[in-house]
Amino acid sequence: MMNLRSQVGNIATYFILAFGAILIFFPLYLTVIVAMKTPAESAQSFFALPSSFYLENFKEVINRVNFGTYVMNSVIITGISLILITYFVPMVSYSISRNSDKKYYKFLLIYFTLGIFIPFQVIMIPVAKMMTQFHLLNITGLIILYVTFSLIQGVFLFVGYLRTIPYELEEAAYMDGSTVWGTYNKIIFPLLRPMTATLLIMNALWIWNDFLLPLIMLNKSPKFWTLQLFQYNFKSQYSFDYNLAFASFLMSMVPIMIVYIFTQRHIIAGLTNGAVKS
Amino acid sequence: MKTLLNKHTLFLFTVPAFVLYTIFFISPMFNGLYYSLTDWDGFSKDYDFVGLSNFIEVMKDEQIRNSLTFTTRYTVLLVFFTVIISLFLALLLNSKIRLRTFFRSVYFFPAVLSLLTVGLIFNQIFYQVLPFMGKGLNIEFLSVNILASPTLAQFGILSVNIWQGVSIPTILFIAALQSVPAELIEAAKIDGATAVQRFRNVVIPYLIPVMNIIIIITLKNGLTLFDYVKAMTDGGPGRATESIGILIYNYAFEELKFSYGITVSIVLFFIMGGISIIQLKWSSKFEVK
Repeated sequence: MMNLRSQVGNIATYFILAFGAILIFFPLYLTVIVAMKTPAESAQSFFALPSSFYLENFKEVINRVNFGTYVMNSVIITGISLILITYFVPMVSYSISRNSDKKYYKFLLIYFTLGIFIPFQVIMIPVAKMMTQFHLLNITGLIILYVTFSLIQGVFLFVGYLRTIPYELEEAAYMDGSTVWGTYNKIIFPLLRPMTATLLIMNALWIWNDFLLPLIMLNKSPKFWTLQLFQYNFKSQYSFDYNLAFASFLMSMVPIMIVYIFTQRHIIAGLTNGAVKS
Repeated sequence: MKTLLNKHTLFLFTVPAFVLYTIFFISPMFNGLYYSLTDWDGFSKDYDFVGLSNFIEVMKDEQIRNSLTFTTRYTVLLVFFTVIISLFLALLLNSKIRLRTFFRSVYFFPAVLSLLTVGLIFNQIFYQVLPFMGKGLNIEFLSVNILASPTLAQFGILSVNIWQGVSIPTILFIAALQSVPAELIEAAKIDGATAVQRFRNVVIPYLIPVMNIIIIITLKNGLTLFDYVKAMTDGGPGRATESIGILIYNYAFEELKFSYGITVSIVLFFIMGGISIIQLKWSSKFEVK
C-alpha cells in the first residue's frame, strides 16, 4: 500500500519536473530554430525544425554590426573588473577583520555594509552626472563603478568568512619574520579561495548580464557597446525581422551557455555558498 | 622604510576600497539628497533651492502614484509566487529520484541568462508565437498579444520574471532542505508525526533564514524592476507597466526632470527600507531559537 503510494508520488514528481523542464527549454528551442530558418520557412511554421542548417542569419547579423567588438567589450569589462575585485575586496576585508577593535576599521565595516540598504536607483542619477563631468562615460568608468559596487556585498561576505579562519597560522608566520603582505599573500589569500570563487561567480554573472549601468554609461557611443547594449539597440532596429532578432539573441547567449555547461557545478555551489553565508 | 611600510600595510589595504566607495557611492548619494531639495534640470548652470517642495509634489503626482501602485502590486505577486513555486520545486528536486542532478542543472539554467535577453525572447513569443497557438487552440485571451493589453501586460512581464526568477531561490531552498538533520525527521516519524506535521514543525524552521534572504532579494528585484519592462513594453501600453525603475530613468534621461527623478528614488529607498524592517521583524518570530 505504502509502496504503491510512493510510486504514484514518484511518477507525479517526474511528470511535474519534466513539464517544468519543457517550459524552460521551449523558449530556447524556439530561439535556436527560428535563428536557423529563412523568413519564408518561419512564415510557414514557427515550431517545425529548420529544413537545413541555415546560417545566413548569423552572417547577416555579423555583417550589419561589429559583433566582435561587442563581445570583446563585454569580455574586457567583465575580465578587468573581476581581476580588480579579486584584489580589492579580500584585502580590505582582511584589514577590517584583523582590527575589529580599532575605531577606523569598525567604522569601515558599517560604512560598506550601509550600501546594502541603498537601491541603485538612489545614486543612479547623480553618478551619471558625475561620470559625465569626470569624462568617464567609457569602459574605464564602467569598470570603476562595477568594482565600487562589488565592495558592498563583497566586504560583508568576506569579513564574515574571515572570522572562521583562526589567527594561529598568521601568528606563526609573523614569528618567523614574515611581512604583513607576505603573510596575506601566501597564507590568507589561498585560504580564502572558496569565498573568492563565490565572489567571482556572483560578480561575473552580474557584470556580464548587466544592462542598466551600460545603458547609462555607454549607450551614446556604439564603439563601447556591450553584448547587452547591442541586443537592445539591435532589437529597436530590426524587431520586424525576427529571424535576425532571434539569431542575435542566440549569439548573445552562446558564450554564457558554453561557460554554464562546463562549470555548472561550481556556479551552483558558489552561489549557494554566498547566500547561505550571508 | 621597509618596516614602516610593513607597519601600515593593513591600513594601505583599505585605501583603494575606501577611496572608490567614498567617491563613487557615498558622495553621489549625498549629492542626490542635496539635489532633491533643488529644482535642477541636470544641465542649466542655475538652479534654486526649493526645500521639500519636490517631495510634496511627488506625493500629489498621479503618474507617480499609478507607478507606485503598479510596482507594489507587481512586487507582492512576484514575491508570493517566487516563494511558493521555488519551495515546491525544491521539495521535488530534493526527493530521491533518478536524474536529480540533471533536473537541477536544467532548473538553474535560466539564472545565468541576462534579464534583457530573456525579456526580448519572450517579447517575440508574446508577439508572434502565443497568439498563433491561441488561435489554433481557440483560446481567446491568448489569441492577441498579451503585452498590448493594458490589463494583461503586467501579467506577461510577471510570468517571464517568475520563469527566470525562481532558479536561484530553488537552489537556495534545496540547500536549506539538506541542512535539516535527518535524525530529527526520523525522531518525529517515530513519535508518529504525519508528513504534513513533520514539514510544518521540523522542516520549516530550518527554511526561515533562507526564505528571508529570498524574500529580500525578490523584493529588491521587484521594486527596482527595469530590464524586463525595457525589453517588453517600455512602460506601455499607455503607462500601464511603468515601474518606478522606468519612471526614474525617464525623468532623468528623457524628460530632464533631474531633481524630481532623484526625489522619487529617495521615496523608493524609504519604501524599501520600511518593508525590509517589517519583514525582518515578522520573520524573527519564526526563527529557530
